Amino acid sequence: MRERLNSTFCLTMTSTFQPPAADHQAKQPPADPAQLAIDDAEEIEGFTRWLSQPDGSRIGRSQFQVSGMFCIACARTIEAALTACPGVVDARVNGSSARAQIDWAPERTRPSALVAAIRDAGYHAAPDLAAPARLLRQRAERQGWWRLFVAGFCMMQVMMYATPIYVAAPGEMPADQMRLLQWAGWLLTLPVLLFSAGPLYAGAWQSLRRRRITMELPVVLGLSIAFFVSTGATFDPGGVFGHEVWFDSVTMFVFLLLGARSLELAARHRAAATLEAAMASLPDRVERLLDDGGAEVVSVRRLRAGDRVRVAIGQAFPADGSLLEGHTQTDESLLSGESAAVSKRAHDAVLAGSINLRAPVLMRVERIGDETRHAEIVALMRQAASERPPSVRSVDRLAAPFLWGVLLLAAAAAVAWSFIDPSRVVLVAVAVLIVTCPCAISLATPSALLAGGSALARLGLLPRSLGFIETLARVDTVIFDKTGTLTDDSLNVRGTLRLDAPVEYDLRSLLGMAAGLARWSTHPASKAVAGAVMPTGSAPAHWHEIEEIPGEGLQASDASGRLFRLGRRSWVCAETSDQVHHCRVDGSTSGDVYFGPIGQPWLGFELSETLRTEALDAVRQLRAQGMQLMIASGDHPSKVALVAQRLGIEQAHGGLRPEHKLQLLQTCHAAGRRVLMIGDGLNDGPVLARADVSIALGNGSHLSQLQSDAVLLSTRLTVIADARLLALQVRRVIRQNMAWAVGYNLVCVPLALAGFLPPWAAGAGMAASSLVVVINALRIGRISAANRRCGHSIAGPSSAAVYGQHSVAALTAAAGTAD
Amino acid sequence: MDILFLLIPMSVVLVLAIIVVFAWAIFSGQFDDLEREAERIFEDEDARLDGDQTERQGLR
Repeated sequence: MRERLNSTFCLTMTSTFQPPAADHQAKQPPADPAQLAIDDAEEIEGFTRWLSQPDGSRIGRSQFQVSGMFCIACARTIEAALTACPGVVDARVNGSSARAQIDWAPERTRPSALVAAIRDAGYHAAPDLAAPARLLRQRAERQGWWRLFVAGFCMMQVMMYATPIYVAAPGEMPADQMRLLQWAGWLLTLPVLLFSAGPLYAGAWQSLRRRRITMELPVVLGLSIAFFVSTGATFDPGGVFGHEVWFDSVTMFVFLLLGARSLELAARHRAAATLEAAMASLPDRVERLLDDGGAEVVSVRRLRAGDRVRVAIGQAFPADGSLLEGHTQTDESLLSGESAAVSKRAHDAVLAGSINLRAPVLMRVERIGDETRHAEIVALMRQAASERPPSVRSVDRLAAPFLWGVLLLAAAAAVAWSFIDPSRVVLVAVAVLIVTCPCAISLATPSALLAGGSALARLGLLPRSLGFIETLARVDTVIFDKTGTLTDDSLNVRGTLRLDAPVEYDLRSLLGMAAGLARWSTHPASKAVAGAVMPTGSAPAHWHEIEEIPGEGLQASDASGRLFRLGRRSWVCAETSDQVHHCRVDGSTSGDVYFGPIGQPWLGFELSETLRTEALDAVRQLRAQGMQLMIASGDHPSKVALVAQRLGIEQAHGGLRPEHKLQLLQTCHAAGRRVLMIGDGLNDGPVLARADVSIALGNGSHLSQLQSDAVLLSTRLTVIADARLLALQVRRVIRQNMAWAVGYNLVCVPLALAGFLPPWAAGAGMAASSLVVVINALRIGRISAANRRCGHSIAGPSSAAVYGQHSVAALTAAAGTAD
Repeated sequence: MDILFLLIPMSVVLVLAIIVVFAWAIFSGQFDDLEREAERIFEDEDARLDGDQTERQGLR
């Protein structure tokens, strides 16, 4: 145990006070065998995707987990360190999720060199495989708590030593006792400054080395000045530094700062938990059945398509595939946002990462690894988490000028006070330096966006970049695609029309005959006709020589050898075209269907598209939010009008080709509207890309192929309405945060300049203002999660519509209280 | 009040000692999951027991 403690201790010390290393690590191999291991080709695959470049070369895109970052400014430091490395094409670091995405050229560098570069910048990195990354975070957490404890405990004791000096009347305390107390205070301030405040000093040093100003600098400057002057006063009382000591202020400031930051760290970890949960949900080992009836336990990486795998209750499915045996329920909430359990029978498809809830089952593996939907979702979430939204970038740019202003202000205050009251110069300068730390400003936007992003992911809507949330909040017009978006692929029978059929057949037996024939085909129109009649109706007619002619319909002969047709009117009426009154020529599959002997249609079916179950709710909710709704479809105008009428949407445009849709978008833009487009993301990709913001329905298709700003994992359109309310809430929180952070500085800087604010109060205020910002952002995730639980328990499974309304009500209520 | 010259250095040593003890506690994982410990009481009796509890049951 002692050895372990010592080694951890050493690690801590070396990590904190790592001397700046010369840039030699790129070529020289690192000595650590654990570092060498990550250069192993098999190992690299675990955290890297390969992208092929236009010129034929390929680059690796690796994900790393970074620890030791304290604020957003650290992200830029690491990015700068990485891009300076030879072989690094691009590096993006997200401070809020503590993740780095690095593009690198395999012929010029290796992952171990990247890790070494991050280490030399004063941080720690591990490849983003689940296990080492978790350990890294655990170590960061433990160290954080220890630093906080040292600061807190020493602070209490130092304050105890300071109290007698404060309360004693002048001359009441002997000088030697006073000095004893000051020395004790000095001694216990040392660990706080050297150990607890280590990360602050390390950050400031790194920023100085890179000739960049970060927010640690004024803080560290303030701490150092206060400590230096107090030390002088302790060991040379009455000398040049006077006889005042501020050890209590110094320790309290470090403690408050670390306290706020560890809470912030906890919040950051919570926000990253959704992502982590998605990645950790695959099992490590699975039980594979052998051909001889035995079973073996193998690593999930060794699975191949076609394997049969047994999945126990509570275990996650290791791959996409289908059930072979068993009847169970699965939890797919991470994959689709659907919180109700999904019932699965043999031959049903199961998804990697969903949890087996009811019974042990046997599955056949069909897609593994990167091809699974789970992997696509994880890739999407990673991308969103490592992309830095524009609004955050603009705050980054403001940081440097802001900090220069702060330093100048502190210097000016010091000069001014040296004329007014030289004994308070240090106090005022330190207070100004500390109070203006722009932590709250730099946290305001990213913390809210991250909380919003994970709340959206829980709803089943995955943004590609967190900037999506900000744009979504500004939208005032929604354009729906029709087919595959508002309607699904199936058709249903709206009405039947009896034509000149012989009198001996009643409508019921006619329907039975048609349905009996229709059952032989899987065409949507046939399915609709077959589904229109209960199979227990009249005895099914016996059909022979059944033939399906693509684009036309079904043909078969009955018991007496008479040929019947079920299909397009022009085809069924083929021989007596003069009888055709209003033959449809558009040839679309959802047209009406006729049935009868050739040339004598007996029965007509009027078909209509099936609206998605939640389309109506979604439309109602979006309209209640003041959205202007439109339908833009390539389908026949009459059908588009029909759907629009059923949904109550006034503006329906049918028969549009992609360039017409673009024109429609341009008219909307010209009218100053901000457009959200919702489509299937495949055929209308280019149009979606031109809209202000777009959402693709990602059910059933490969997520990586979808061209949209966000992907809806289910077909529950009401999620979009919820998402917009969430986006509005995020925007409100960002504004509150910014107003708070800026307002706080505006109030406190004059107070500090005027000398009303002692350093400890400045520290408390600054820590509190960061904390307020983070806690305010965390409300976002909380409200929507509470909703989800309520919706689930009240509505029970499968009542997503109730859940949708419920959350709208709750979100609106929350919005009311927030305002 | 000369005792202060003994007590105050002692308090400094005590503080440093407590910090080391706390370091041992935190790096042996005692603070890793505080919520889990609070929920442990709701778990079934025959779930995983730590060494002490098994021994006590054996004595009974």
